[in-house]
Amino acid sequence: MTIDLSFNHVSKRYRIREEIPSNGNGNPLVTKLRALRSRATDFWAVRDVSFEVERGEALGIIGHNGAGKSTVLKLLSNITTPTSGEIVINGRLAALIEVGSGFHPELTGRENIYLNGSILGMSRREITDKLDDIVEFAGVRQFIDTPVKRFSSGMYVRLGFSIAAHLNPDILLLDEVLAVGDASFQQKCIQRISELKRSGKTIVFISHDLGAVERLCDRVLLMKRGEVITSGPARQVVAAYQSDATLSSESVEVHKKGETKEVEIRTLSFRDAAGEVRPVFETGEPLTATVEFEVHEPVENAVFGVIFFTADGQEHFEFTTDGSGESISLKPGRGKIEFSTHELGVLPGIFFTSVYVSEGNPGRVIHYHYKSTVLRVDSGKVMHGNFYMPHRWSMTQSK
Amino acid sequence: MSVPSVNTEAFEREREIVEAPRRVRRITAPSFSPLGLLRGIVVLWQYRDLLYTLSVHRIKVRYKQSVLGILWAVLQPLSLMLIYTLVFSVVARIPTGGTPYPIIAFTGLLLWTLFSTAIINSTNGLVSHAHLVTKVYFPREILPLTYVIAAVFDFLIASVVLIGLMVYYQVAVTWNVLWTVPIVLILTCLVTSMSLVFSALQVRFRDIGVALPLLLQLWMFATPVVYPLSAVPERFRWFYSLNPMVGIVESFRRTVVDGVPPDFATIGVSALIAIVLLPIAYVFFKHVEATIADVI
Repeated sequence: MTIDLSFNHVSKRYRIREEIPSNGNGNPLVTKLRALRSRATDFWAVRDVSFEVERGEALGIIGHNGAGKSTVLKLLSNITTPTSGEIVINGRLAALIEVGSGFHPELTGRENIYLNGSILGMSRREITDKLDDIVEFAGVRQFIDTPVKRFSSGMYVRLGFSIAAHLNPDILLLDEVLAVGDASFQQKCIQRISELKRSGKTIVFISHDLGAVERLCDRVLLMKRGEVITSGPARQVVAAYQSDATLSSESVEVHKKGETKEVEIRTLSFRDAAGEVRPVFETGEPLTATVEFEVHEPVENAVFGVIFFTADGQEHFEFTTDGSGESISLKPGRGKIEFSTHELGVLPGIFFTSVYVSEGNPGRVIHYHYKSTVLRVDSGKVMHGNFYMPHRWSMTQSK
Repeated sequence: MSVPSVNTEAFEREREIVEAPRRVRRITAPSFSPLGLLRGIVVLWQYRDLLYTLSVHRIKVRYKQSVLGILWAVLQPLSLMLIYTLVFSVVARIPTGGTPYPIIAFTGLLLWTLFSTAIINSTNGLVSHAHLVTKVYFPREILPLTYVIAAVFDFLIASVVLIGLMVYYQVAVTWNVLWTVPIVLILTCLVTSMSLVFSALQVRFRDIGVALPLLLQLWMFATPVVYPLSAVPERFRWFYSLNPMVGIVESFRRTVVDGVPPDFATIGVSALIAIVLLPIAYVFFKHVEATIADVI
């Protein structure tokens, strides 16, 4: 097999300069100059990473934020250079970057296609040849000679993706492309990427969407703190990552030492309709989240909640007892609280959950489990939009 | 909404055509080398389409949504000329040796506008494209270069006014006017080197962008832009001519207005400085380029 891409003991160091706090008096210029001479701390974003990608292979790279995935991508696409080691790229490489980042609002759609296409490395002739396909795929034919500042955000995104999707590289880099846009758009991305893969392109895919990684990639690297810790078949490595994510839980203690918590959260688990505990659910499935707790001292007006974070740390949604208007009073002993939904409304992704119990809301936090459990959602009901809204429908017909 | 499918057959066709020998690229830690200069030029040539598209874009965008559009390229040096004519030919009189002052001023301002707009715009060129620089690779020198190209384009447009002025003042044109081509070429080399250095420095030290207009203002008065070289006392001339812009502006004026060949001593100094500076500036730029995305 031909090797299309190889990383040989590649490291990337960033120098982080410490800001010397100014003591208020003293010349600001002197402080600035002193800061220039201050000692920099080294941060190894990527440390001694080696791997190879064969022609036609799809490699996935997964890991937490700050694991070094994006740095690997930046090194591959030559946006930045390694501190040591060597990267060999055999063929034309293109990165499917955040769509539309090269657009200029004053230029028309057509002009922007040329602009963006050439930024991505296409020749003018190539763009002229593909112009029709690009416009058709984006569905913006009527507006092609309108300045893109008049475009709706949906048209903007579609045109941006369409340009990138019509690149014809030997090696394709994908970074979180599936994280943008609605489900139909993501579907389109996946479909296009599968087609590229079938036509024999070499693909490197970096994503938090573990479902997509599993579906697209032949092999996956798991990165942690700048190093590759596991590599192997997709399913195996994704499973390893999930168990790792669960283990890396941190319980945030909000109490001073020696003090006992009135309430302690013990476990959080997800169950399906049959009552089975599962880590993976599909969009539209029923789900029950069970929080088990132990009460040491009585608490009036307690509030329980489970917050779901996206992989990049944004709060995505919450289950809480607060919204119901009923107040909970806890008596010493063990108990459990169940949050359930008939249809899980979130789209595919991986979600970190935090569990808390507090007195009043917003009130005093009694116990807080920070990002303790992982919920993975795979595509079930395929939806357009940002989330699945549970709904019914009925029909009437007249002659 | 249906999900459009993509013509897979087209891909297959492309694949057969594209199965040409592939380019192998090696990326390693940055290092200074004359070979790097050559490699840089080869890669820049591969990206010539981007240079072209971005330069056209630069020119188009500048005058979009302005009523006067491309006329601004003419109006800028023209209005400056009127101001200086008022100051130096009506209020304070400068001896011009018989040449009409507006022509003296316009030739100087024409070249100076090219010089200063190219440098000022390109200095901010990398920083203002941070969103691109951190997301996709292309030879970074393309960004400052497009501003230089746009300034040269504006220069050509504004030159039409110079022709008009020469007709109006009945200035005779000789074959010596052809010297303007190498003179403008030398100026472009000089502008390019300075744009490369300043834009690379601006990424790390934003002070450059702030100090630059002031520096250029001083530089303009140290160059025979709004006065003729003959107004400079003879004993300072030698030192004065070390400024590469002196030879460029003066030689341009001599060949166009006076119809005589350039002064080879002063233009020689300018040419030498420009030719030595350009490769140095390019190697410096390429060295800084490697870490631009980390710093910007």
